[in-house]
Amino acid sequence: MSELYRPGEPVKLQFTGSASEYFRIWIVNLCLSVLTLGIYSAWAKVRRKRYFYGSTLLDGAAFEYTGNPVAILKGRLLVLAVFTVYSLAQHVVPLLSLVLALVVLALLPWIIQRALQFNARNSLHRNVRFGFNGGKMQIFGVLLVAALLVPVTLGIGYPWYLAMKRRLFVENSRYGSQRFAFSATTGDYYRGAMKISLAFVGFLAGSIVTLGIGLLPFYLLLRAYAEVVLARLAWRNTTLAEIRFDCGWTVGGLFGLYFVNALGVMLSLGLLVPWAAIRTARYKLERMTLQSPQGPAKFLAAAADDVGAVGDEAGELLGFDFGL
Amino acid sequence: MSGLQAVYFDGESTDGQPVTLELDARQLLHVRGTGCGIDLAWPLVEVRVSERIGASRRRLYFPDGAQCETADNDAVDALFEGRVPAASWLLHRWESGLSYAVAALVITVAAAWVAVVWGVPALAKQAAFALPAATETYIGRDALATLDKLVLQPSKLPETRQRELRELYARMTSGIQGAATYRLELRQGGRAGANAFALPAGIIVMTDELVELAKDDRELEAVLAHEIGHLRQHHMLRLVMQNSAAAVLIAFMAGDLTSLTSLAAAAPTMLLQASFTRDFEREADDFSLDYLAKRGIAPEYFAAILRRLEEKKRPGRKDGASDYLSTHPSTRERIERARGKI
Repeated sequence: MSELYRPGEPVKLQFTGSASEYFRIWIVNLCLSVLTLGIYSAWAKVRRKRYFYGSTLLDGAAFEYTGNPVAILKGRLLVLAVFTVYSLAQHVVPLLSLVLALVVLALLPWIIQRALQFNARNSLHRNVRFGFNGGKMQIFGVLLVAALLVPVTLGIGYPWYLAMKRRLFVENSRYGSQRFAFSATTGDYYRGAMKISLAFVGFLAGSIVTLGIGLLPFYLLLRAYAEVVLARLAWRNTTLAEIRFDCGWTVGGLFGLYFVNALGVMLSLGLLVPWAAIRTARYKLERMTLQSPQGPAKFLAAAADDVGAVGDEAGELLGFDFGL
Repeated sequence: MSGLQAVYFDGESTDGQPVTLELDARQLLHVRGTGCGIDLAWPLVEVRVSERIGASRRRLYFPDGAQCETADNDAVDALFEGRVPAASWLLHRWESGLSYAVAALVITVAAAWVAVVWGVPALAKQAAFALPAATETYIGRDALATLDKLVLQPSKLPETRQRELRELYARMTSGIQGAATYRLELRQGGRAGANAFALPAGIIVMTDELVELAKDDRELEAVLAHEIGHLRQHHMLRLVMQNSAAAVLIAFMAGDLTSLTSLAAAAPTMLLQASFTRDFEREADDFSLDYLAKRGIAPEYFAAILRRLEEKKRPGRKDGASDYLSTHPSTRERIERARGKI
């Protein structure tokens, strides 16, 4: 119990959440969010995350989420205010909306940095915080590649962007004072992208052969395949000191998961959303393993710094997710 | 209170120690290691406890930054009985009972229903009437320019006929309060077929195809009155606002949906749009029928043009007219309403 990661043995993540339990948590918090006109939703989000973190065990100890709902509420209000001014200005003073868009664009590296810091810092395991040290200029560089290089090369630069993004995220993440390391090369990402492109051709062919009927299942299959390729690439090349990670998701498993989830959510008019969330977490987490060949590992906590939540919400709204 | 099993983490390293927590008579919480030398005591009032959320792990926070993790939620509750804030305790109770879940579900659906069906339209109405005229003019001009580029062509009607229609329209609006700023735009419909619509900022578009479909100018007068009815109520603007507001609301409530499931969440928005539209059509129909009554024009003229539009849309003669009618109340219902006003 006291020592993390015995030598040699792979350790599996364990997920103890249950759909019936989470359904009740979900609906009560959704109800409170609706009745408070959305104000409570910040608290609901934290509760949801605390439930999932607190139900995820690694070697007997659970993860913990400590995000402050008030900070998240402030972030949401700011995002809402900027968005409202922007959409009103679009019709009344188009120039102002342009200026506003440029300002937000200029602040993007800062927003993303804050989002990643907030998420990492508020995640704990064994009372030791995760952290993110990436600099604004590094993030700016990745965004520049995404905005300029990818369109200019008609998408051929995309795997490069993916590799760069993942490397930036992993290499600047830390657990306590120990940094994660990343060994995948840009070439690895190009090989992965080749496989996914071939699968895409299969997806097109399959959709055409089945006269469009197979569109949704084939799309899910393609998505599952791409996700498995990228997740394996990311995790098998990530290390934390001596610890190696492995991701045992399979294309068939992920496809079945998504297909049944989509079916259940649609047929239940959204009532099975919490059930789908639990199923997804269980599948994905319980197939993650850690292995420490050299023996038990011990990590030390790092000196702490405080981060507000503005970035957290802004990053979420902009759909910019580095995805752990 | 005997023996709460937990794991102690000092916050400085990942090493954990199995411990037993015990409260003594002086309200001191003793933390004793089962296999190691930990032996601490904190006054219970200084120990913070995390909220109980389902069966997820619970934490006790000590003032020095150390914590204990345990799965024994009931024992933690017993230990802190009377010290847990009411809100946190109540929340867990609500999240535990099935009857509370059912109540929450009913309240959520009802609140969402009220918000979308009543709240959003009321807000959109307020906003549409309060919007500065300059803004509406801008939106209306933009909408017409877009339609001109994508669908509509300049009218091919003879110059004399166009003048006749404009005069008819001018006669109509001179008697309607607030209609002085509305203007009629004649266009060839193209894909839009026999059609008429009211854009923001008082722009009424009527297509050549509709003009040709009418057997009597009084039929056109009925249609134009219907469109003026839309304009007076800022219907187009409200529709746009309502649809975006409803979409935002649904997206917000479905908060943690993944991209796949949000696809399913788009369906109610489309159903709502159709229902919003039908309400507005009825309002505009009522305005038109009132107008006809005041001018001494029989409502049959309105019924007649509606019937002819409906015939155009029948299968086998499918053309652009169908999309004009699909969002309207059933033509039979409208014709019957027109008759009912006799």
